[in-house]
Amino acid sequence: MSSSITHTILSNRKIIHIDMDAFYASVEQRDNKAYQGKPLAVGGGSQRGVVAAASYEARKFGVRSAMPGKQALQKCPDLIFVKPRFTHYKNISQQIREIFLEYTHLMEPLSLDEAYLDVTRPLKGKNSATLIAHEIRKRIFQETGLTASAGISCNKFLAKIASDINKPNGYYVIRPEEASVFIEKLPIGEFFGVGKVTAQKFQKLGIHNGMDLRNASRALLMKYFGKNGLFFYDIARGIDRRKVEHDRVRKSVGAENTFHKDLLSEAELNKAMEEICDTLYLRLHKAGVWGKTLTIKIKYHDFEQITRSRSFSEGIHNRDSMWHLACTMLHANRHPGKPIRLLGISFSQLEAAENRPGRQLRLNLKNY
Amino acid sequence: MKFIVSSNLLLKQLQSISGVLSTNNALPILDNFLFELRENELQVSASDLETTMTARLTVDMAEDEGMVAIPAKLLLDTLKTFADIPVTLDIDKENFGVSLIAGEGKYRLAGQNGEEYPATEQIEGGNGFKIEADILHNAISKTIFAASTDELRPTMTGIFCEINSEGLTFVATDAHKLVRYRRKDITTEESASFILPKKPMNQLKNTLVADDVPVEIEFNEKNARFVFKNLTMTCRLIDGKYPNYMAVIPPENPNKLTLDRSPFLNAIRRVSLFSNQTTYQVKFKIAGTELLLKAEDQDYSSEAEERLNCHFEGNDMQIGFNSKFMLEMLNSLETDQVVMEMSEPNRAGLILPLDSEDKDEDILMLVMPVMLNQQ
Repeated sequence: MSSSITHTILSNRKIIHIDMDAFYASVEQRDNKAYQGKPLAVGGGSQRGVVAAASYEARKFGVRSAMPGKQALQKCPDLIFVKPRFTHYKNISQQIREIFLEYTHLMEPLSLDEAYLDVTRPLKGKNSATLIAHEIRKRIFQETGLTASAGISCNKFLAKIASDINKPNGYYVIRPEEASVFIEKLPIGEFFGVGKVTAQKFQKLGIHNGMDLRNASRALLMKYFGKNGLFFYDIARGIDRRKVEHDRVRKSVGAENTFHKDLLSEAELNKAMEEICDTLYLRLHKAGVWGKTLTIKIKYHDFEQITRSRSFSEGIHNRDSMWHLACTMLHANRHPGKPIRLLGISFSQLEAAENRPGRQLRLNLKNY
Repeated sequence: MKFIVSSNLLLKQLQSISGVLSTNNALPILDNFLFELRENELQVSASDLETTMTARLTVDMAEDEGMVAIPAKLLLDTLKTFADIPVTLDIDKENFGVSLIAGEGKYRLAGQNGEEYPATEQIEGGNGFKIEADILHNAISKTIFAASTDELRPTMTGIFCEINSEGLTFVATDAHKLVRYRRKDITTEESASFILPKKPMNQLKNTLVADDVPVEIEFNEKNARFVFKNLTMTCRLIDGKYPNYMAVIPPENPNKLTLDRSPFLNAIRRVSLFSNQTTYQVKFKIAGTELLLKAEDQDYSSEAEERLNCHFEGNDMQIGFNSKFMLEMLNSLETDQVVMEMSEPNRAGLILPLDSEDKDEDILMLVMPVMLNQQ
């Protein structure tokens, strides 16, 4: 009884697993037109190197990540090798995470290209995980030019299975009641917590897939896998109690906007900046913080992105000052002839707007 | 254009206006002094476009009227090296070359056409009033330190000046502290107010001698002009609306602390050395007739406390202040005793001089507290 109640509560969670499609390879193809539509491998070009990521064109030839470069080349003689640019991927990953954080603080990155989001109570958007996943994928594409796949379900395990189903550039929802269909077919090696060694152990026990696992008794699993056995017992039934771990302390608050058409004139940009300032102002208020460092982000039509920061002696808490500063920084740093597709501003070095000890109080001068 | 002048007299006049010179001028010609000769009166000016300061002096053997811009630094440096001797300046009207003849020496400086020097703003049909130099000096000194340095709020970087039939008021605030300096003995029939920028006010403060020569102040919408002795300063006013400072001065403050200013100042100065060097927080714990000042810096495990006898009316309380602000304020007051008026630990505290000698003067200083840690 109590277990079924827990199950019900857990089934009410809404978890999204977002997985970027061939992330590193897609970034390289995005940044270099000559690579588009061609089999490409990031890494693996050197003597003993292994492929870090392969484009979908390369995957058709059987090129996989972690495959030695030499072997990859045998499978696909036209394969293009590109040196990895991890700092670049990291920056893009950060951009994507900022999108996630707009929807939920419960965000757990697994690597640069995938993350779990708990959107049971989203910060914005519709109260539907499917619609939020759709919106996030759309925004990732608008803001980075990259595609992502999403899996939506009631826990991390099922969400992760789901994101693989319509990959690339797709999504899938696994409802709790249909979970068993997917679990049954899943090879044992793909279960969470099952590595090479554990997989061999399962094989020896005659457990090869989800169906076999579900047929195993709790006692058997506990005997061979100890405490983890309980986890495997549950997960075979689609029960996964793991929370989306968000250990991230909020360090900045930001807002940004991708425009329907690229902007170039000062007047248009100032107007666009004003709207972003309004959004940011509300967010700062909501978060109860002021920031001392203002960062502006400019993304040009060709996806080249620059950021510029300026710090002040005290937190900025006036919308007009914010706008004025952001515009000044924008025009001082932008390339005047280059159309802009996205503008963003954020505040870091946050300080509590309310009664933080040691904080110098200010006079409440009207309009200042 | 040619004249003879005492090197010391010229140097002194140039030095009194040289504070206006800026080190990063938008116009290169502003690195020069403007010399204008009319009969035997020489006018020398310095400007940074916002402020222009002019000194007038009488010269000998003047020939040919005219104007020329002379490199300021080179001229000052040269004049400083002379004992007090007569110098002759001879300006070539064709190429603006300046010959300076002093004793056995002859020096040539490359001048520029004075016509290219930006003209001083004229104030026509402006209002005006008179104030004694030492009073103006006092009013500026007591307020200017409270003005903001934050360029985001330009109006608050200046001194707000308000004059009407009831008196003259100077106000400066950076939202952490505020000073209001009021006098009843200087009035005008028409009410007017304007915001004076900090830089020219500092220059004026340095030039005004502490004597009772009258200063004539004239102003219009855009500029103000100060005329005293042989000097004239014209400065552009800060455009904009000054915040409603009156609304933030608390009228009722039940807790009144009376102290001898100088021991209070010295105690804060000592204790503040032990305060956290980012907040400069000093805790005031007031109970009965005792004020306990306490500062600590947890990062360096240093702390200090000092007890002072005081006269206190009100409820025992604890309140934190930035000691830098307290020192600035107490330093600029002159009376033997001061009163601090407070209400709550998160509300403004007032510092008022007690028994001032100048009965027409009314000074109010306000300082916002620092949030204390719970307990």
